[in-house]
Amino acid sequence: MSGGTKKNKPTMSTPTEAILESISDGVFTIDMEWRITSFNRAAEEITGVPREEAIMRLCSEVFRCSMCGANCALLLTLETGKPIIGKSGYIINSDGNRIPISISTAMLKDAKGKVVGGAETFRDLSEVEALRRELDSRFRVGDLVSRSPLMQRVFEVLPAIAASPSTVLILGETGTGKELMARTIHSLSPRREGPFIAVNCGALPDTLLESELFGYRAGAFTGATKDKPGRFALASGGTIFLDEIGDVSPALQVRFLRVLQERTYEPLGATRSETTDARVIVATNRDLAELTRSGAFREDLFYRVNVVRVQLPPLRRRQEDIPLLAEHFINRFNRLQGKAIQGIDAEALSLLMAHHWPGNVRELANVIERAFIMCNEGLISIDHFPEELTARGASTARSADVRSAHDMLDAQSIRTALERNNYNRLAAARELGIHKTTLFRRIKKLGIALPQQDGRSPKTSKQ
Amino acid sequence: MRKAAFAYWDNRLAPVFDSARQLYLVEVDTRGIALETQEMLPDDQPAQKALRLAELTVDTLVCGAISRSLHEMVSAYGIRVIPFVAGELREIILAWQSGNLQEDAFAMPGCRRQRRSLRKCGLQSRSNLP
Repeated sequence: MSGGTKKNKPTMSTPTEAILESISDGVFTIDMEWRITSFNRAAEEITGVPREEAIMRLCSEVFRCSMCGANCALLLTLETGKPIIGKSGYIINSDGNRIPISISTAMLKDAKGKVVGGAETFRDLSEVEALRRELDSRFRVGDLVSRSPLMQRVFEVLPAIAASPSTVLILGETGTGKELMARTIHSLSPRREGPFIAVNCGALPDTLLESELFGYRAGAFTGATKDKPGRFALASGGTIFLDEIGDVSPALQVRFLRVLQERTYEPLGATRSETTDARVIVATNRDLAELTRSGAFREDLFYRVNVVRVQLPPLRRRQEDIPLLAEHFINRFNRLQGKAIQGIDAEALSLLMAHHWPGNVRELANVIERAFIMCNEGLISIDHFPEELTARGASTARSADVRSAHDMLDAQSIRTALERNNYNRLAAARELGIHKTTLFRRIKKLGIALPQQDGRSPKTSKQ
Repeated sequence: MRKAAFAYWDNRLAPVFDSARQLYLVEVDTRGIALETQEMLPDDQPAQKALRLAELTVDTLVCGAISRSLHEMVSAYGIRVIPFVAGELREIILAWQSGNLQEDAFAMPGCRRQRRSLRKCGLQSRSNLP
């Protein structure tokens, strides 16, 4: 809001004018030439334009709304005769601030029913937006979005992890957002101004990966005509993210160990060591402890990378996040594709909730992106989903009897209660309103896997 | 040679640069206007709009209302921004050419000149020079 707007005291000739002056919604009217004929006190305050400067000027140049021009709501009303109610957009006030608003429009007619212009009311949504953002921020860190107790525990420790210089190991199935987590840690860290360099160690053969990571000197091999800095050198002052660390060869593991221990490495063909100050974040979707036991991953490297561990749960274990993530992706694709999809209908959401999501959050994002191709406006429905999703959902629904559906819900409730209570069985039973022995019986019957941690001992999932 | 971009809609300067799609580009040399062309602006992220202006090697952007963040982004590419301007496209081009764009007649409502030379809207970085 402008704050600097001079308030005029117009003569109140009618009760209607007095009411218009007293309300907090901005109101203006226009004639058939799109020139402003009245402009109330709230309109002055929200736009930062004094009434005397607004009157008889083109409404688009006074109002300065994102819809002005080809998407003018008032133009649509005058063309169709239908009012528009509560359409969202923003205006740019005199200070250059974007003010979120909702607008409504109506036609103005004279006593004989002839259209003589239009009226537009608009509401400043700045406070609503600020409140919404505050609420959202509880479930959001950077681009990470979650309501799940499992993820909330990760969110709680994330600022401390970001602030420390220690190596981080991110574990999670494919598509759980390991790179996004690494980027978030980088963006929360004191190195945020530095570069973030991501390398997929599983995508390159050993020799190529070595030259990519550590660089080479001119003459190191045929075709090396000049020096090339490696990714470690490029990540100087920032963060290097090594994805799929579980797939690197034993030979390269030795070199990684040296970098992590001594912060030094030799580019191919170099005679002197280089030092690196890049923070290292590694990730894998494989069971690194098991790989270490089987001898495929060096034990000393495992202990070196396993300093701070972040475990990302698969989407099927954070089902409560599906509506939130679906909304997040809808908002993102609306912004990117300039669409106005309103959301997802109840039936389609139920289908998403019932899906197993082997591809995790990435698969969900792809399903929503595909739905955006099929759906142009309104709500996303089952018709906009790929066949494999609907076919599986339909067959599941057909084959599942009431008993198995009940068991599924039962298992979901027990899992959620256990997670919320840090796997303390007694606390979970109390929350579910059942006796501890009943809970144990149901856990056994439904085949719910429990971690070693039982909630009575201190947290061990992250250090 | 100087090159200015005018964000327009319906033969007037577009009221909001953040949502504008059409650009009118004018190149002038010592003899006057040398070339006039039209371009489309991307309708996505503000950074893409700023980048497009830089790609078009524009020296000056003349536009209607512009959000502070986008203004700063465009300025970061070394492009001078003359914001909160309103009027017929042709009149604005001529005023820019003759250095008269800072006159109150071209100011958006609520942005008239205060004191000697500064208009009150947006960032205070405009110059009267074309």
